[in-house]
Amino acid sequence: MGFLGKGLFQGMAVTARNFVGSYFDKERMVTVQYPEERVQVPENSRTFPFLVFDNTADHMRCVGCKICEEECPPQCIYIVMDRDENGKPLQRPKVFDIDISVCMQCQICVEVCPFEAIKMDNNYEKSQYDRFDDLVERLPDLLKSNEYYNHIKPAEASAVDAKLKAEADKKAKKAAPAKAAPKPAAPKPAAAPAPVAGRLVIPEDAPFTPEQRAWLAGFLSSAGAVAGPATAPVESAAVELPAVEEAAPDTEAAPAVDTPWHDPGLAMPQRMDLAKERPLADKLMAAMAQTDCHACGYDCRGYADAIAGGAESDLSLCLPGEGETAGMLEQLMKEAGKV
Amino acid sequence: MIQPVADTRPKGLIETETLEVSIGPQHPSTHGVFRMNATLDGETVVALKPVMGYLHRNHEQLAERMTWLGSMPYTDRLDYFNSMANNWAYALSVEKLAGIKVPERAEYIRVIMTELTRLLNHICLVGFLLQDLGAWGTPLLYAFREREKILDLFETVSGSRMMCNYFRFGGVRVDLDDKSLALAREITSKFPKFLDEFEKLLSGNEVLLARTQRVGILPKELAINASITGPMARASGVEYDIRKVDKYGLYGTLDFRVPLGEVGDVYDRYYVRVLEMRESVKILNQVLRDVPAGPFVAPEVKLRNFKVPAGDGYGRIETPKGELGFYLVSDAQGKLPYRYHVRPPSFINLTILEDMCLDHKVADVVIILGSVDIVLGEVDR
Repeated sequence: MGFLGKGLFQGMAVTARNFVGSYFDKERMVTVQYPEERVQVPENSRTFPFLVFDNTADHMRCVGCKICEEECPPQCIYIVMDRDENGKPLQRPKVFDIDISVCMQCQICVEVCPFEAIKMDNNYEKSQYDRFDDLVERLPDLLKSNEYYNHIKPAEASAVDAKLKAEADKKAKKAAPAKAAPKPAAPKPAAAPAPVAGRLVIPEDAPFTPEQRAWLAGFLSSAGAVAGPATAPVESAAVELPAVEEAAPDTEAAPAVDTPWHDPGLAMPQRMDLAKERPLADKLMAAMAQTDCHACGYDCRGYADAIAGGAESDLSLCLPGEGETAGMLEQLMKEAGKV
Repeated sequence: MIQPVADTRPKGLIETETLEVSIGPQHPSTHGVFRMNATLDGETVVALKPVMGYLHRNHEQLAERMTWLGSMPYTDRLDYFNSMANNWAYALSVEKLAGIKVPERAEYIRVIMTELTRLLNHICLVGFLLQDLGAWGTPLLYAFREREKILDLFETVSGSRMMCNYFRFGGVRVDLDDKSLALAREITSKFPKFLDEFEKLLSGNEVLLARTQRVGILPKELAINASITGPMARASGVEYDIRKVDKYGLYGTLDFRVPLGEVGDVYDRYYVRVLEMRESVKILNQVLRDVPAGPFVAPEVKLRNFKVPAGDGYGRIETPKGELGFYLVSDAQGKLPYRYHVRPPSFINLTILEDMCLDHKVADVVIILGSVDIVLGEVDR
């Protein structure tokens, strides 16, 4: 070895090398004079979430489906859906608060959002004068343009833009043949409801009390096509609609004809009215919020079929429908005797 | 109002009494909010009671109110030096319970990330330990300078330096791109050189040797009986490394050795960690050489409405601090864990603190505690 204190001197030599080296070697001098100098954060870097809008702030991508609110581990998101004076959901949030003093920057809201509406910011300078109100980000604070998103995360944002464009194109392609085919407009009660195989419909203006109407509806649906227009008590007023099988081949791309209630702009009573003659799965579907947000893990059709088929027993999965949908689903399942 | 006690000692004799000293919870060398109630006879420790729980935040109960995925970011906060390793332990337990198979590329990424985590944990622990010994600042800052490079890589890949939240059931969240892989290779290739320099700084230092050798000895039998794991057990000569025992992930196919200590004193614990870093570099070199292409996450795993079949399972990995295990019970609904229990290595390693400290001077308590390598986020949960 050597003399006592050799290790000590060796250590001193290392410190001396580092000290002198810090003047010449970038590897040994790593500090940055913040705030005069700043380190460029990597693209993936995340701090707090923000909401993306396209073009103008009215075109926010968020539809207020509450998936992120449900999935947020520390529960720092609070959303209220916007509705018009009739109670119709407007497919956008009225209140969207994120308490960034609670947010733990985990990015789960971003991962679960099916609309690419919420993204992670990389702004790390968030100090405020007030601990409480100033640290709650409201909707106007949260909204940032797509340009901003493209600016802070170029690679990620361009991938998202490409994906959204592809989806829009697909939708447009699907919609084009549907528009070309002359189909009856959906919500007219006299024409639209119930193209289910050979079933009969009681016209809106037929002189029946609600009880009679309900009984008749049940009678007709159980009698089905066998009852026929001649034997039915609603005789001439009844409208027989074409069976689904006939309509199917040329309207494959336009399920809207089959499901006139599939419009998030309609209120719950209207939707239920449109589906009241239908089998259970359709009624269940009409009770959904119609946003196809996949909050439940399906689209609206899929979730209704899963419940009706018994594959899904949880009736509370429709987040945008809130308690209204859950209550209606329960009621329908009770009526069907399945609960 | 304290009344002065009448002095009843016989005149002319020297009487001594023991003194209780509360070290912590606000004390720089307790590595967090941890308190030790030490009873001293002069400067010698005759009894020492660890007091913990200042950082308790109900981690297990919280997890039982949350979806399976929702707990993942919380595991980052257990041992906040090793979020990647914690993620893996939790993901491994859930995968075991749900029977998910992890794609090969994901396994490689997991090993890379966890071994880098081991490097940064050990280098910081050594830095802190030397700081406790009086090498104030210098080694710690050198360690932090090196750690920063690894944290930059973590931020590039996962988005966050420390709270990575990077693992997912059946894989990882985002792929490791070529640029990050190159960065990982660069860090790995430069690390041994740094380690040589770091060792030269203090390993042969006479003051360090005098302070650490034959101090805080943990006998092999006690280490086994107290279920001590990790570098602490290995420093006492217990050959137990879960990477070798369980061969989880890729570790069955990798070539590395398990360094063992002989005496089980503070110096051995320090040096076993230095050697482990060299083994980690060896592992990283093997893994980084041939990362296969392919998916980085099992495609069948859903992000939302992820359900786990009923049953219970225990998954464990070798984190830098020892055996981290998650015991999970899923009920018939399977949406949330019915029971979620963490077996934290540093909490269990802390239980033998008194045995190691007895008959040592009070100044040694600080370095013995430092050599245990605790993180209070994990001790208290």
